[in-house]
Amino acid sequence: MIRFNKAQIGYQQPLLFIDQMELNAGHIYVLIGANGKGKTTLLKSINGLQDLVSGEIELDKKLTSTLNHRDLSNLVAFVSSKFDGIEHLKVYDYIALGRTPYTNLFGRLSAQDHVQVSRAIKTLGIDYLSDKLTTEISDGERQLCAIARALAQETPIITLDEPTAFLDYANRVKVLTMLKTLAFEHQKCIVLSSHDIDICLEMNLPVLYIDLTSNQLIQTNKTCKSTLLQNCFGI
Amino acid sequence: MPVAAYLHLSIGQIQLSSADFYNALFNYNDSETGQLLVREFRFPRLVMAIVAGSSLAIAGMLMQTLFNNPLAGPYVLGINSGASLAVALGTLSGISFFSSNFGLIGLALIGALVFGFIVLGFSLFVRNSLSLLLVGIMIGSFTSAITSLLQTISSADSLKVFTIWGMGSLQQVELSQLGIITLFFIIGLFLSFFLIKPLNALVLGENASLLLGIPVKNLRVIIIIITALLAGLVTAFCGPIAFVGLAIPNLCKMLFKTQQHLVLLLGNILLGALFLISCDILVQGLEPFILVPINVITSIVGAPFVIFIILKRLA
Repeated sequence: MIRFNKAQIGYQQPLLFIDQMELNAGHIYVLIGANGKGKTTLLKSINGLQDLVSGEIELDKKLTSTLNHRDLSNLVAFVSSKFDGIEHLKVYDYIALGRTPYTNLFGRLSAQDHVQVSRAIKTLGIDYLSDKLTTEISDGERQLCAIARALAQETPIITLDEPTAFLDYANRVKVLTMLKTLAFEHQKCIVLSSHDIDICLEMNLPVLYIDLTSNQLIQTNKTCKSTLLQNCFGI
Repeated sequence: MPVAAYLHLSIGQIQLSSADFYNALFNYNDSETGQLLVREFRFPRLVMAIVAGSSLAIAGMLMQTLFNNPLAGPYVLGINSGASLAVALGTLSGISFFSSNFGLIGLALIGALVFGFIVLGFSLFVRNSLSLLLVGIMIGSFTSAITSLLQTISSADSLKVFTIWGMGSLQQVELSQLGIITLFFIIGLFLSFFLIKPLNALVLGENASLLLGIPVKNLRVIIIIITALLAGLVTAFCGPIAFVGLAIPNLCKMLFKTQQHLVLLLGNILLGALFLISCDILVQGLEPFILVPINVITSIVGAPFVIFIILKRLA
């Protein structure tokens, strides 16, 4: 679903190198690396918010450099680490904004849009929140809403930048389990950055780590914590 | 709204019958004083109150969503003072074209547009919303100072044109100007309805909107053009009017409790017009005793409301 070809990720100077790599639908990939190593920049590049220094990324066999934001919004959705809630905005209406790429000129929701929004809400199990305001629910609940919005966008790829950073332990496990199920049941390709190494390893999630010395992105399915810590953080 | 409009039409130093109103609009006879009053003064004044109130409120809503800042508005961010400066430059230059209708409106629109883009330019570097407001206020003060400077060096005649304009009022508009004013207003209003969808997404922030396929760069420019059109139009014909663009969009959000911009747009059109009509009724009511510029009334009512909004946010 996502293919990297000699990609150099970074602003002006390359931060991170990905020679050849393919990420598939139906899987969730956990991006692990030290601070400032380019995790967020990589996610931005996948979303078309940051140009590559060189090389290419393909999403669903299309080069990102040839896609505009309109095209990208049908391929990839993004969830940030924190959604603070917006005054007077209800959960349902917030999730419905995920339908923006599909609505008409005036943003009117069609019956099909409502079906997709309701499905996303049901999948995340947050029916009880839909009439609440985004400002009156907890951080954990808001993060579930943000994921529901990404799901309502109906993209084959979902990227998340440290989605569990501001959550308590129980919510971290809940969100990650939810994402794993989503990837499998909805055949999505999910990439998320995280520092929850223990939980991710325990859940047997495939890991993409940024090697501390070579700045290469390396994919591994079976790894133990000590090797990972050694390679990523030098400890 | 109809009640306010009726009150607005009927208040004044000379009592008029409803027959006068009807005849003035549909069966005009210019030898009747009553009909003349309605047609030449009261009707244009009412239309201007509606147009100015709605325009400023929409302009304020657009800027508040664009800059994600409840304290943004055409007046605070220096759009009005930009229009004032352009008008001052034009009228005080003594070139007669600039004192004509088209001259005035053209100048005000250009001034509003230029200063709109200046603020937009700053907003790309000044990410903090409080700093952006301060920059806007400084731009406003700077331009006002230049405008004052121009006044001191200009001739008495052109100074008179500018001073009368700068007092800010709804009664300088003549029947013959209503056509062009309404035309510009309808264009601005019409274009605003096409912004509903991007504005709804923009509430999530610029990056999030971009990822939902909204062309944010173009959107910024379009929003500034429409804001400048609406705010510049009002400034051209009524002079500076403060606080409508700041207070009314906030009032709408408080009353309707929504981020759906279709509702907010309609609300701002309605409440903006209603607010300015009410303020002008007050101006007319006071006319036998003192002559108060409309700007004074909107500030007296609007400023405390804005302080209230700020305090409510802190709470």
